[in-house]
Amino acid sequence: MQILGYLLLAGLALVLQTVLLPPFFPGGIKPDLVLLLTIWIGLRESPWRGGLLVYGLGWVYDAYAGTFPGLHGFVLLTVFLTVCGMATRLNTESLPLIWCLVGGGTLLQAALTVFAIEFFAETSRFWAVVLNCLPAQMLLNLLFAYLLHNSGRRCRQLADQLPPGLLPRRHES
Amino acid sequence: MWEWWKKNRSLLFGLALILAALLTYSLGLKDDGRTGWVEGLALRTGGPVLGVAAGARYSVAGIWDAVIPGGSSLDLDAESRRLRAEMAGIEELKRENDRLRRLLGFVEEHPRRSVAARVIAEDASSWFRTIEIDRGYEDGVTEGLSVVDAAGLVGRVVRSTAHAAQVLLITDASSAVAVLVQDERIRGVCRGQGGTLALDFALVQDAIQVGDGVITSGLGGVFPKGLVVGYVRSVHREQFGLFQTVEVEPAVDFAHLEEVLVLLKETP
Repeated sequence: MQILGYLLLAGLALVLQTVLLPPFFPGGIKPDLVLLLTIWIGLRESPWRGGLLVYGLGWVYDAYAGTFPGLHGFVLLTVFLTVCGMATRLNTESLPLIWCLVGGGTLLQAALTVFAIEFFAETSRFWAVVLNCLPAQMLLNLLFAYLLHNSGRRCRQLADQLPPGLLPRRHES
Repeated sequence: MWEWWKKNRSLLFGLALILAALLTYSLGLKDDGRTGWVEGLALRTGGPVLGVAAGARYSVAGIWDAVIPGGSSLDLDAESRRLRAEMAGIEELKRENDRLRRLLGFVEEHPRRSVAARVIAEDASSWFRTIEIDRGYEDGVTEGLSVVDAAGLVGRVVRSTAHAAQVLLITDASSAVAVLVQDERIRGVCRGQGGTLALDFALVQDAIQVGDGVITSGLGGVFPKGLVVGYVRSVHREQFGLFQTVEVEPAVDFAHLEEVLVLLKETP
């Protein structure tokens, strides 16, 4: 059930990134909601289950981003495992920490994409395109991380104000 | 040794997974130019959803533009807003008609078999430049075909499913087009740089000037000869060097691309 939820979120992120958000952001730059979802999964899931999910998600992302099959599978899996390795030591409710993760994730994603394309594919000056877009991409990712983090917190506050028994009880682990 | 293995087991598994993913990516690069089954499945499944979302986006954008011109008409009463929305619908149809008329003009100028397609999505990533169109191999749209609009060359089809296809734009960093500077007949290769194009292999003694037209040369057999690619935006000549640096502005406005033409294969 949780996996289905992640897949629906990924689908929504792709529709937003490919159709609904581009008119608002000129120059082809848009927030990378799939990366934000990957970081979020990294904070919540186990390496095996989350790793398989994110790798599959990367392949679907490849169908709508670029022309290199397997590229985003590799990039998102690496970002996920990095976040996963740090998740147990972090307070995931802290906004500055989320910003650090999103900022670091954006840089890691850009570096891995450039590495994978410049070293393995025949593409010239791809690094220049990435370098050109990176500041705006970073700002947008941080802004959307802030918006999503705040909306999540508001939703949880609203859910807590509802009368007891209206929502299914959360299992404490 | 056992202790070390137990301590670093997770890290080693993680590294092995990343290495396997990199290897799979590397092997996938040696493709035969056909659409892989994973991408095909994703495009087939997502195509209709994107089509519906794109239809909604275009309608809302058209109505929004007409109902709230510059945000100054927020106090219109309900009836006038309804009429404006109706007019916006008509205006949207008129604009679509104009665009299709221009495409038709292109078809008349370049008598080739072609099929019109609607742009339903842009690339999901900021690093790449591709679009999705609502025509696939059932309409004759297969990998490798050229895509144009009334202004000039848009790109080529790189993935195709039954009812949707992905087009690599000429502005993508992995795109290369064999070109001719129209007046001087100087050959070169235009490579994508995200927003503009770089004309490579133009010798320093070639007399290229700002504003010169750049067209496809037909070499390589990917794009037909004579399609407008763009116009020279800037030229830099170093004192010592074999080639000059030439920047080309694409003829097509990629930010407002809504309909395109796919040039089909000529039947023998």
